[in-house]
Amino acid sequence: MTVETTARTYTISGPEPELWYRDLISCLQATTGAVLARQGADPLAVLGSGWRFLHLPGDVRHEEFYYPCPPDASGTVDLGTVLAPHHALSARWWRPADEEDVWSEVRASLAEDRPVIAAVDNFHLPFRPAYGDVHAAHQVVIYGLDETRGVVHVSDAMPPAFRGAVPIEQFLRSWNSENPTDVQDAFFSDSRIGRRCLDVRLDAVPAPLTPELLGGFLRSNGEHFTTAGPARTGLAGFDRFAAELLERCRAGDAGALRELYPFGWAMQAQASLHGELLRRCGGEWRDPALAGAGRAVETVAHAWTGLRFTGAHGLDDPRAAALDIAHHTTLLRGAYARAVDAVGAVAARL
Amino acid sequence: MWRNSFAAEYLPAGGSLVHVDGVPFEFPPVCEGSDNIRCAGQFIKVPRDRYDWIHVLAASERRSEDTVDLTFADGSVDAEPLRVSDFWAAPAWFGEVKAFESLAMHYPHHVQRGIPAVMWAQRVAVTRRADLTGILLPRNVAMHIFAVTLQRTEL
Repeated sequence: MTVETTARTYTISGPEPELWYRDLISCLQATTGAVLARQGADPLAVLGSGWRFLHLPGDVRHEEFYYPCPPDASGTVDLGTVLAPHHALSARWWRPADEEDVWSEVRASLAEDRPVIAAVDNFHLPFRPAYGDVHAAHQVVIYGLDETRGVVHVSDAMPPAFRGAVPIEQFLRSWNSENPTDVQDAFFSDSRIGRRCLDVRLDAVPAPLTPELLGGFLRSNGEHFTTAGPARTGLAGFDRFAAELLERCRAGDAGALRELYPFGWAMQAQASLHGELLRRCGGEWRDPALAGAGRAVETVAHAWTGLRFTGAHGLDDPRAAALDIAHHTTLLRGAYARAVDAVGAVAARL
Repeated sequence: MWRNSFAAEYLPAGGSLVHVDGVPFEFPPVCEGSDNIRCAGQFIKVPRDRYDWIHVLAASERRSEDTVDLTFADGSVDAEPLRVSDFWAAPAWFGEVKAFESLAMHYPHHVQRGIPAVMWAQRVAVTRRADLTGILLPRNVAMHIFAVTLQRTEL
């Protein structure tokens, strides 16, 4: 006698996702890096080649994975264009189409041997430090679904780092959380999770970086920083962002500081990856000026710490914090200017 | 900012003399309340003398770089870099020595294993050949100083 069964277990082939992590990145880069590594790409080369400043007023969401990204002409938001502007990376949000079968797309993706990046609320995930305590919007990688045993296999490179099974019911609570306002986390709560997933695809594994290739990327980044436009981009965009931040602080607008923390993380993460990549290339190619330029970009990332944490500590009294916010925007602006200068000098001869 | 803290059982006794990489420090009180300086532009007067190094036990909420202003008896002031790696599950990014590591991180409502908290031993160079009289800390609330030891110039 034969019994017809429906496949209810889906998992990617080969090793579990890499726990790709750096101490200044967010779960957005960590999960994207894990997917890139699985595709055979070097996450640092893909995520670290671009370096931009972009602030979109009114756009900041209270999520660990927030990243400013303008929609294209069709209204589509593709995070790949800002995370990796020099590579054919696409990263688009989607949600399950069928409320009656929310796992349909996840099954299909895993069946195609592609892990799924999912937004979650840390409050409901037992491996997160915030479990049962603090609501916060986070991202993890789903690499398996076992509906027979009732578990989802999840990978999360952010400390304490986890790879393993989570009960489906528990995961669903996290994946569909309202992520309500939480006084313990003013920066990453109050943002509905809504079963969002990020579809990350790289058209092809990029060719290894060469000085010529990197030089082109750096010249493009440099133009972005030094060319003023209508959007808040580059050094001129930073000045407009900083001026508005100060103005809002002086007016007692705590919302400005609530936005600063997640927005600053995006800019800090990118600067840290770009700086590390340049330093690594400088070391490999025996180019100390390139390595030094990388270090200058990393100083930008470190200067974001001072601004982000001054804002976070000043949340209760933005007016009182304004003087120190001004101090740290000045330091950060100086760090940007020095780094743009250092990178520009090496870009001109690569 | 998140009210995370070191677990006392992984730290030396409060007020004890500890040596980190050969440098002696008087460890701060291990207690509820203030046991470190959150950098906010405080000025530390030091015994007037020639020094080569300012050693600190420090932690930072994320990787930080800032400057301390060194004040000298002859009226000169030098800004020198103070660099401190993240205390939250991170490597010694600035090449510091790991002074103490708490294998568990204290959160406001629970004890978290798997996220170590690290206190770093870092140093600041005193390049000027003059008598140092004081140290102005940066206005950077991400940086926390637990102890300071001055190393005299060997003449």
